[in-house]
Amino acid sequence: MLKDFFMLAARSITHRRMRSWLTVIGVFIGITAVVALISIGLGLNKTVEQQVAGVFGVDTFVLVPKGSFGPQSHAGGSSEQYALDLEFLKSIPGVKVAAAVRQRTGFVQGPAKADGTSTQGFLPVMGLSTELVNEFESFTGKLTVQPGGRLFVAGDSDVALLGTDTAERLGAKVGDTLLIAGDASRELNLSVVGIMEPSDEEASTESGGGFSAGMKPAQSKDTIYVPYDTMSLLWGEASDVLVTLVRTQPGADVDEVADRVEKELTARDSEVSSITYSDISDAIGTMTTTVSAFLAGIAGIALLVGAVGVMNTMFTSVLERTKEIGVMKAVGARNSHILTIFLIESGLMGFVGGVVGTLAGLGLSALASMFIGRFFGVQMAVVASPALILITLAGSFLLGAFAGLWPAWRASKLPVVDALRYE
Amino acid sequence: MPLLDLRGVTKDYKLGKTIVRALRGLDLRIEKGEIVAIMGPSGSGKSTLMHILGCLDVPTSGEASIEEQQIRSLSEKQLVELRGHKIGFVFQTFNLMQTLSAQQNVELPMIFQGMKKRERAQRAAKLLTKVGLADRVHHRPNELSGGERQRVAIARALANDPEILFADEPTGNLDSESGGTILELLKRLSTEDGKTVIIVTHDPDATAIAERIIHLHDGRVVEEVKNA
Repeated sequence: MLKDFFMLAARSITHRRMRSWLTVIGVFIGITAVVALISIGLGLNKTVEQQVAGVFGVDTFVLVPKGSFGPQSHAGGSSEQYALDLEFLKSIPGVKVAAAVRQRTGFVQGPAKADGTSTQGFLPVMGLSTELVNEFESFTGKLTVQPGGRLFVAGDSDVALLGTDTAERLGAKVGDTLLIAGDASRELNLSVVGIMEPSDEEASTESGGGFSAGMKPAQSKDTIYVPYDTMSLLWGEASDVLVTLVRTQPGADVDEVADRVEKELTARDSEVSSITYSDISDAIGTMTTTVSAFLAGIAGIALLVGAVGVMNTMFTSVLERTKEIGVMKAVGARNSHILTIFLIESGLMGFVGGVVGTLAGLGLSALASMFIGRFFGVQMAVVASPALILITLAGSFLLGAFAGLWPAWRASKLPVVDALRYE
Repeated sequence: MPLLDLRGVTKDYKLGKTIVRALRGLDLRIEKGEIVAIMGPSGSGKSTLMHILGCLDVPTSGEASIEEQQIRSLSEKQLVELRGHKIGFVFQTFNLMQTLSAQQNVELPMIFQGMKKRERAQRAAKLLTKVGLADRVHHRPNELSGGERQRVAIARALANDPEILFADEPTGNLDSESGGTILELLKRLSTEDGKTVIIVTHDPDATAIAERIIHLHDGRVVEEVKNA
């Protein structure tokens, strides 16, 4: 019987072709907007996750000052530094490699010039673990030095790398010696082994997108870089760490190791928070979902207008077919039959709007992804979620049926004699 | 035992603030297999009477029964059942579904009874043959003449093999030749198939086929004439 009701409803829709299409267009615009915006949101989410995954891998996490990540973090992040026992961190089970960055401001004296004088002053000094260069390139980007120099290698101690500005200001070149003074009259003569290439914005986008830019401690032009252990010779135990990168042992649960590290370091007075891939992806997920939901909500208004269109059409249809309804009742149709036929009719219009709208929405999102991707210079993921498609199609039928509920109910309740008399 | 039995039936309608008394204490008995013509001027209550006899409406007061079942005591659902099984309607303006073919129009009442598609199609084809439209089964109403449309409507009225056939001015929109064919068909249904046929009409030709002619005026039966 239901099949026959579908036939009757479909006949009625095709009979009033023009009006039916106009109604379908009303639904289709709303569905297109919703599907496109949700798909773009999903694509954005996936793209950012891919980017983050590219930087983090699945086995790496970051230690930052406590409270600088997550909902409690204050705007602009935290510039606080924390204390760290890197050797202890490396000994925690599950940790394979760890690399940290320390920063201080130190008194620096450049090499003697021809006239016997030398430039001196206070400059930022950064300690970098050798592993940072070798193991965490996805975070730091490719570190390069100008020809004739080299990066740090394991076992380096009394050496320094200079930013281009610093080198110029101090008048230092590869092979020169600098004097750096730390705490409590500790000072060291360091030999310059390289001048860093100035950071290049274009190159930074290529090497992992915008995310890793903040993790690039070694591209600043006005800084002096020394090996991590050398910092201890100048300033003692580390209480000035900016960031630590940790890679876990193969097969270890990164979230579990991160929790353990955070707990054990906190017990030793390191005020740190761990950020794993899943933390970041959760945060991004929450953000993009909120944005998507907000946009979809706005698109929902278009959908509502479409639904009102369906309702309007159905009321007109009921009015026009009052006599037809009377005849159907006279030949044995129950109220529930009339209700069902009209609900199927409005549902079908919603469904057709849904099919066309879903296709248009997916097309639009693919197009938008292409433009957004080109604008930001990334490969945007295009997501055609089967769940979204199924929900949209079922939802559009229900939306149509729901919009037709009132008119259909009115039709089913028409007294048969009045309906037959209607002209 | 009369098939249809009306005693002191009244029917009032509210038209705005005024009450229209369409039937004012009407008595009428119709036996199984009869052909009855109901005549009367406009506003005499013919259509109202047909609606009550056809279980489309219930009387305001009085007793109306079909096969000894009181119409007023029946629920809406039971009335629908009765209409579906015992009663067939033919209207002046045919009232066919423009979107459906002749055969689909005839199948419509069977759809509401939940009959299987194959059975329906066979029965519809048979009925259309019976009314002389074997070669018109797939035509839409707008591809048929007035007389043909009314014959489709009669086939539709016969879809669920009802005992009673109500025809409200069945020839009102037809030329005399087509009208004659329709009346002939209605008579055959009574004489050959034993259907009870009740025709509400102005058409003098219709009275010729009726066994009994009932004249209404102001909501009452004023005259009953038996045809010889």
